[in-house]
Amino acid sequence: MFANDIATDLAEGRVLELAEIYALDAVSDEERAIIDDFVKTAPEGPEFHERVRQARETLAAGFAPEEEPPAGLFDNILDRIAKDAPAAPASAPETPAVAGPAVDELAAARAKREERRSGGARRWIVGAAAAAAIAIGGIGVGSYVSAQNDPVNQVLQAQDVQKQSAAVPGGGTATISASSAKDSFVVLMDGVAPAPEGKVYQLWTLPKDGSAPVPQGTMDAQTLSKPAVVKGLSSASSVAITVEPAGGSKAPTTAPVLVVALSA
Amino acid sequence: MDIPNKPSAPVFEPADTATDLNSQLTGLLHLVAAGDQQAFAEFYRLTSRRVFGMAKRVLIDPDLSEDATQEVFIQVWQGAAKFDRAAGSPLAWLMTIAHRRAIDRVRAVQSATDREAKYGAASLDPDRDLVAEEADSNLEAEAVSRCLATLTDTQRESVRLAYYGGLTYREVAEHLGAAVPTIKSRIRDGLLRLKTCLGVG
Repeated sequence: MFANDIATDLAEGRVLELAEIYALDAVSDEERAIIDDFVKTAPEGPEFHERVRQARETLAAGFAPEEEPPAGLFDNILDRIAKDAPAAPASAPETPAVAGPAVDELAAARAKREERRSGGARRWIVGAAAAAAIAIGGIGVGSYVSAQNDPVNQVLQAQDVQKQSAAVPGGGTATISASSAKDSFVVLMDGVAPAPEGKVYQLWTLPKDGSAPVPQGTMDAQTLSKPAVVKGLSSASSVAITVEPAGGSKAPTTAPVLVVALSA
Repeated sequence: MDIPNKPSAPVFEPADTATDLNSQLTGLLHLVAAGDQQAFAEFYRLTSRRVFGMAKRVLIDPDLSEDATQEVFIQVWQGAAKFDRAAGSPLAWLMTIAHRRAIDRVRAVQSATDREAKYGAASLDPDRDLVAEEADSNLEAEAVSRCLATLTDTQRESVRLAYYGGLTYREVAEHLGAAVPTIKSRIRDGLLRLKTCLGVG
């Protein structure tokens, strides 16, 4: 039986029973904050989130009134996007889509070079490269089908994907989604400020055998918020991020701003 | 635009249409995350009726609904990279954003009493709840309709007051003159029943 207030429900062990009410937004902002706070450390946290997820899927399927929006609405949205600082990378509306892939091709070329040099299967692809390149040719059918098969999605949608997030000093988070089955992981930076002028972030894997860090590509202001796929999960013990001169370095020249241990 | 993977014959499983749409939307969101405006336009085309429908149902006022819809899609554009398929389907992600926006708006501009009154006016036509997607979703709409009917009247009433009226469980209880714990149970049980019936896993 529920209590009158959320705090008592939580104290008496009914956090999971609150998942539906929470998913429905039928709580006040204060109560939402209390629940969020509680599940952060509660052992039931993952189970709570799963139940919230299911409730949201249920709501999306079961309560879906539809109504045609006014005709000009999408144009207004595009106008707003053009005015606001675009948050999506390589997407400044005045910049043609070509800008993205040009960067990506450089990254891909660098990746091939590194692959040859290391002789291994490791590879660095700026996440959306495959998808973006196809998108130029026009929208449609091909583009999203390919997107489902792109390296980022293959990892993110892998059955065994495991995620961990780490706070980046100075703000933002880095989320690592790792799949042993794909022997790859995806790094996604969120809300991280670009490296200072003339510098880039560089991603490294630290091999399990203790050998030197392996460069896995750089992230400039354009590519910073794109997901990046790195192959070779099984041979890496950690992933590290350093600040390097533009173009990247062959070996780290600064102390890492972040090191995340890979559990797989 | 033609949709690949579209089942050539109607499939009885109600989830299939949604599954198809969700995989399509997932692909589009990854393109949107990379700044692809055409993918964004396609995403809008496929989902704007739902987003606007939700906003309108909660906010009633067309201008407010338009504003809220605009904000939702701007959030999609800016936040597509944050979409995490493992944490839910694109539709659920989108509708969570849409509902939250509408609720924030409605709670900011209207007292609970106003919302109850407006909810009353908006709730006369229960068919408007239903998914009425283009031609091929009749089976899906039927399934949803059948499943909504498995809720008790009081469960359905509490869930809809909260969801469309923007009321908290406490406000729902006040509105119905029922005990707070009872309303919490009704909302929970109603949603769980609907989930089971729809086969959400």
